[in-house]
Amino acid sequence: MSARIIMKLTVIDRVEDCAGVLLLSLRHHRKPLLPAWRGGAHVDIHLPDGKVRQYSLCGDPCSRETYQVAIQRETTGRGGSNWIHDQVGAGDTVHVSAPRTNFSLDDGAERHVFIAGGIGVTPLLAMAREARTNGQDFVFHYCARRRADAPLLASLASVCADRLVTHFSDEQRLDIDAMFADLDAAEGTHIYGCGPARLTDAIRRVARVEGWPEERVHFEVFQPALDDDFKPEPFEIIVASTGQRVTVPADQSALSILREQGYSMPSSCELGVCGACICGYTDGQVIHRDSVLSLADRQARMTPCISRARNSVTLDI
Amino acid sequence: MTDWQGGELLHIHIAPAAAHEMEAVDEAELVAGRGIVGDRYFLGTGTYSPKPDIREVTLIEIETIDALAANDPPLQDGPIVLDPSDHRRNLTTRGVPLNHLVGKRFRVGDTILRGGRLNFPCKYLEELLGEPVYLPLYNRSGLNCTIETGGVIHPGDVISPLDD
Repeated sequence: MSARIIMKLTVIDRVEDCAGVLLLSLRHHRKPLLPAWRGGAHVDIHLPDGKVRQYSLCGDPCSRETYQVAIQRETTGRGGSNWIHDQVGAGDTVHVSAPRTNFSLDDGAERHVFIAGGIGVTPLLAMAREARTNGQDFVFHYCARRRADAPLLASLASVCADRLVTHFSDEQRLDIDAMFADLDAAEGTHIYGCGPARLTDAIRRVARVEGWPEERVHFEVFQPALDDDFKPEPFEIIVASTGQRVTVPADQSALSILREQGYSMPSSCELGVCGACICGYTDGQVIHRDSVLSLADRQARMTPCISRARNSVTLDI
Repeated sequence: MTDWQGGELLHIHIAPAAAHEMEAVDEAELVAGRGIVGDRYFLGTGTYSPKPDIREVTLIEIETIDALAANDPPLQDGPIVLDPSDHRRNLTTRGVPLNHLVGKRFRVGDTILRGGRLNFPCKYLEELLGEPVYLPLYNRSGLNCTIETGGVIHPGDVISPLDD
């Protein structure tokens, strides 16, 4: 996974999009253009206390002058969104990484089905913008509790026009089985889901039942999929380039141990959701605990911030 | 080499930590044996800070940056235009044969640097920039120096040889 430059961006606009959701527009403090990106990409916002938070870009990928991020205040979260809501205003500087794309329109797709829940709309809005620019067929299903609580609804309506189907719990709740029954499951159709685990789990379940192949159903995940019952065990890392063997104790991550040993390891979320620290492995049985690698990728790559191994693993670093 | 009389300091750039964009400054304080005040290798926050090496101050020739922009010689698919803040070296020079200054002392303004080792290109820079600069920078990636005599430097300062 590649390193990314961290830029000083200026907040040129701060808008309350809907209750608890802040829309920030960001511009480089001296360069006219920002790094290019694709719909579905996210950036890291580096907070002054060292915390790093990922936010999907929700603006237009064609517009290189500004980035837009929509940030929902997570009152029970880890504090990052509260700090941004309380401290960041127009004219302020924020440290933002160049975008990373773990989630994007499938290049081979002919038709896209977007299914968003709440603030999960952010990456999918940008992907819908890209699909529209590409002249591709798509439909956008958007679920939220109430119309008034639906982030970015006006932008979404403008981008999608009659391809937007809304499902508000107090009006017409999403019937996911009925929605799938109406879907054109033709080979070129791909599904993209983003939202609470309740929604993405339902999409996974129905897609499996309806026989959708995994490679045509895509998800953006920003919460760690951790199992509270998981009991970490110590294991050994063999560094392929040097042959060095290091032991990872049960209470530490492979990433932290490698850093202690002097290896320069990029990382960002350290929760297994951003993909910054992904590295290859050639031998060993890995216990994958991340939310970013696909099943196919897991055959040869792992996320050392959170994933572990049984007994030993040889890392391609 | 023996006829090199001197060159010029064009730009000074520093960054507070690994991966952070380099920022141009109008003056910089060089501290002997340490680095440039405010720079990542002075602060110990650089990508390579955990690996002790000669990296108190790094220099690169503007002639190299111009050559990449002109793709001359044609080492890559096309021109690579780098802003002086992109190459992540601290000092951009004009008219200074950096590859000849390994082991040599030279002045930058009122300070004295000693050429420690040739800088070599890294894939990390290529990833940060999103540009294929690794191969085109081979053998002309600049010079890593120690600071023998500290002081304050400015763009426009004269760079001149000290050792014969």
